[in-house]
Amino acid sequence: MKKAKEQKNYLKVRVFFVLAFFIVAFSLVFLRAFQLQVLESESLKAKAARQHVRSVSLRSKRGDIYDRNFKELAISIDVDSVYARPTQIKSKRALSRALAPIIGLKASEIRRSLSSGRGFVWVKRQIDLDEAERAKIAAMKGVGIVKESRRYYPNNGLASNLLGFTGVDSNGLEGIEHSYNTYLSGATRKISGGRDARGRLMLFGDTGNVVPVEGMSVELTIDKTIQYVTESALQSAIDKTGAKGGTAVVLAPATGEVLAMATAPGFNLNDFRRTSPELWRNRTVTDSFEPGSVAKVFVVAGALEEGLVKPDDIFFCENGSYRVADRVLHDAEEKGWLSVSNIIKYSSNIGASKIAEKMGRETLYRYFSAFGMGTKTGLDLPGETSGSLLDVDKWSGVTLHTISFGQGVSASSIQLATALGAIANGGFLMKPYIVKEVKSGTGKVVKANNPVIMRRVISAATARSVRDMMVGVTGEGGTGTKAAISGFDVAGKTGTAQKPDFEHGGYRKHAYVSSFFGFVPAENPVLTIIVTLDEPQKGHYGGEVAAPVFKEIASKSLTYLGVTPQGDMHPSYGKKRGAAKALRSGVGTKEVSLRRGFAPDFTGLTMRKALRVSREGDFDIKMIGGGLAVRQSPGPGRPLKGVKSVKVWFQ
Amino acid sequence: MRFTGIDKRLLTHIDFAVLGLTITLAIIGLISIYSATYSNNPATYTRAQYWFIISLVLLTGAVVVNYHFLERYAYIIYGGSIVLLLLVFAIGKSSGGAQRWLDLGFLSLQPSETAKIALIIMLARHFSLKNLAGRGLDIKDLIVPGLIFIAPFFLIMKQPDLGTSIILLSIFCSMTLVVGIRLRTIIAIGVALSAIMPFAWMSLKDYQKARLTSFLNPGRDPFGSGYHLLQSKIAIGSGGFLGKGYTGGTQGKLMFLPEHHTDFIFSILAEEWGFIGASIVIFIFFALILKGLGAAASSKDRFGFLLAFGISAMLFWHVVINIAMVTGLLPVVGVPLPFISYGGSFLAVIMTSMGLIINIRMRRFIF
Repeated sequence: MKKAKEQKNYLKVRVFFVLAFFIVAFSLVFLRAFQLQVLESESLKAKAARQHVRSVSLRSKRGDIYDRNFKELAISIDVDSVYARPTQIKSKRALSRALAPIIGLKASEIRRSLSSGRGFVWVKRQIDLDEAERAKIAAMKGVGIVKESRRYYPNNGLASNLLGFTGVDSNGLEGIEHSYNTYLSGATRKISGGRDARGRLMLFGDTGNVVPVEGMSVELTIDKTIQYVTESALQSAIDKTGAKGGTAVVLAPATGEVLAMATAPGFNLNDFRRTSPELWRNRTVTDSFEPGSVAKVFVVAGALEEGLVKPDDIFFCENGSYRVADRVLHDAEEKGWLSVSNIIKYSSNIGASKIAEKMGRETLYRYFSAFGMGTKTGLDLPGETSGSLLDVDKWSGVTLHTISFGQGVSASSIQLATALGAIANGGFLMKPYIVKEVKSGTGKVVKANNPVIMRRVISAATARSVRDMMVGVTGEGGTGTKAAISGFDVAGKTGTAQKPDFEHGGYRKHAYVSSFFGFVPAENPVLTIIVTLDEPQKGHYGGEVAAPVFKEIASKSLTYLGVTPQGDMHPSYGKKRGAAKALRSGVGTKEVSLRRGFAPDFTGLTMRKALRVSREGDFDIKMIGGGLAVRQSPGPGRPLKGVKSVKVWFQ
Repeated sequence: MRFTGIDKRLLTHIDFAVLGLTITLAIIGLISIYSATYSNNPATYTRAQYWFIISLVLLTGAVVVNYHFLERYAYIIYGGSIVLLLLVFAIGKSSGGAQRWLDLGFLSLQPSETAKIALIIMLARHFSLKNLAGRGLDIKDLIVPGLIFIAPFFLIMKQPDLGTSIILLSIFCSMTLVVGIRLRTIIAIGVALSAIMPFAWMSLKDYQKARLTSFLNPGRDPFGSGYHLLQSKIAIGSGGFLGKGYTGGTQGKLMFLPEHHTDFIFSILAEEWGFIGASIVIFIFFALILKGLGAAASSKDRFGFLLAFGISAMLFWHVVINIAMVTGLLPVVGVPLPFISYGGSFLAVIMTSMGLIINIRMRRFIF
């Protein structure tokens, strides 16, 4: 017992040593906590913030693009994207089966994407779901829906090269979508949020408070109907002649507004990825070509303005063969003496050369420059070319002559149309523009384009003279008779240019750019139109292949605009626009009552509104045409039993 | 000697301080587990509640049963825990590269936890029967306790579970040192160990080696092995003095910290409750360990002394290693924080152990 007691005391002494050790250890741990949480707290807080607090950009809804009558050309619609978190899914097989019929994918496909091993997968992006489908998906574990905005082009291919499109990140890649991207995309608001270690987004703040500024809407000067007329005329000419492609531009000569701008072949904007990037260019702006005989108009205009020639002065056209330096110039028709008017009418190269000789290099160069050759027009579209006009010092012996009939100079369609506009409107070179207004989401005009006079190129009298000569082109015996429209005087000029051979130098045989440009009605022009066809196979003269396109565009557009041969020659865009606006504000915004299982009344709705209505109901919508809804199937109020989608026709 | 039963006299000697501190810590554990898991693994909290109830029952049992009962049945308890460890190899559940659990249906048991208390009981019994003169243990005196220790140690190393192995080693060393060991024995063991070291190192799994080395320079490889450590330090430090508020933590919540409801729960606690909260928790642990040492010092017999001391040592090593580990003072070896880390078996074991402390303190006046 004594011994045991001794031992116990001995152990108790040790406990004090142990206690001392424990105190030291605890002090260490405690001091460490003090160090981390008090002394180093600030730097560690900063580290934590850097690691997981990210500012998150909330992308705002992209603004719409309208034509001049407020018809929708590009709109943004809300669509659903379905994602999955495979780790939270109990049975991938069962879930895939349940999901398949809702999102229209095969169960096996879904299962494959769920089994990709990632923590987050998109199952299907950008689809239209109805309320019931959304509820079904919401009830599934490990699957969710995110609202995304998708760009939709109600007219598919219309004005495709002009409008351009947006990429996945909703950034404009081409055309107006690109050049007006900053306006359309709106402000992306940054809000504080976090990412967890798996990179998932977690927002700390209340997202409801941060409403991103909606993208602004862009109203173009384009008239959808004229654009449509232009594109279909161009396309049918290409079909008829077997041309590789073509372009057409319609301008309002008084203001420089672009009413239509077509590049063929175009592409479907809603499916642009399936087409070759070569087709995406807006070739009316990005590509230049040798204008050929249409250039003669500018030679004559300059010569008249300088008082060097009068319309009735005559020139000897050498019976179709004229030697200049080392070259022999030819005319298509062998002519002897021709007046200036007839040089235009019959499109004599030799005649134009002789007028140019009278002008001299400097003067010719000055006028070509004044008409805008070799300079960009400054249109708000990406990739504009300036064309080429060789500096006068570098002209060779024959350049003066060749330029007079449009060889050795090149220009884009928009440049030529702008230059021609100066003859049509009495001498002013107008800056062309394609965007009328940019409006903010609240309807405030943020940017507006107005007509801009670049300079006066020729006098009103000269313009009148040139116009009269150009009317001769479409008159009897002229090269452009096929552009004549009964009841109207049409001022025009044909062009047939051989394409330069970039491999061997000189020009390619049987490869032409056939063109026609003109304005109508000649007395008081409403439209300036240029048509080019690239390498037409069946016929190559501009008067033969391009003039009919001009005629079709011009006559249909004049009818549409209400410009009649007999009556009032002053078309009133204002009235037309006013009417369109009234239509929009009157019928277009009516409220639609929805009854489950019955077709709502779509009549009078815009496409956007119709889409919105359809999303609230439990059916799909197929939209045909554009503008306002005129007809639908099943009819308003009809039961929807067994019908998956409602067809709506727009006009 | 009564094995069971409590009379009124005993009841008056229940140490309510120990009981109160124990239950306080267990409740802090519950609410911390809730904060750590409610967003991405809510089922964990439910299981933690079940274990909490089970542990309370076990604690009560440990108070009621006379601790001398344990001395008598030490062999059975120890043997049973070895059998359980062997069973793990036969029918155990694997998780994260280690086979540590026995499936009990709705809960799973981790025999490496029961081995801790079984080792303490067994060593306490062994040393209490040894006649100890002032000179301390000799090499040959260490053979039997060495074998008692090495069996569970080896089985747990094999699972592998480095953290628990280290705890067993700490318990063994603490108990032999407090019993007394001769200086020359310590030297001899030191020499032997340094000879074995290289081989021990080679027997470690790659991830264990990586953890040990990355501790020396965690910043070098922020997404590799040092990742936990760095994240843990960021979580604790970003809590600052006052903390981010309950469930207001971001680092743990956003899963920068893996195993945030088990080994790294102190980081979440410190992030949300700040230095104030962390200090209070450290202080409670310290108080509880002091109480345990007090129970040892005041126990009426050697077995009681060694049992209480072993338990206090176990608690001490867990707390110090865990907090040192999550604050970057020690390598990450996978030692849970008693009462607070999620882990049902360990909670049951530590609560039972606290029951034994109360038991020993309660019976110090009884002969």
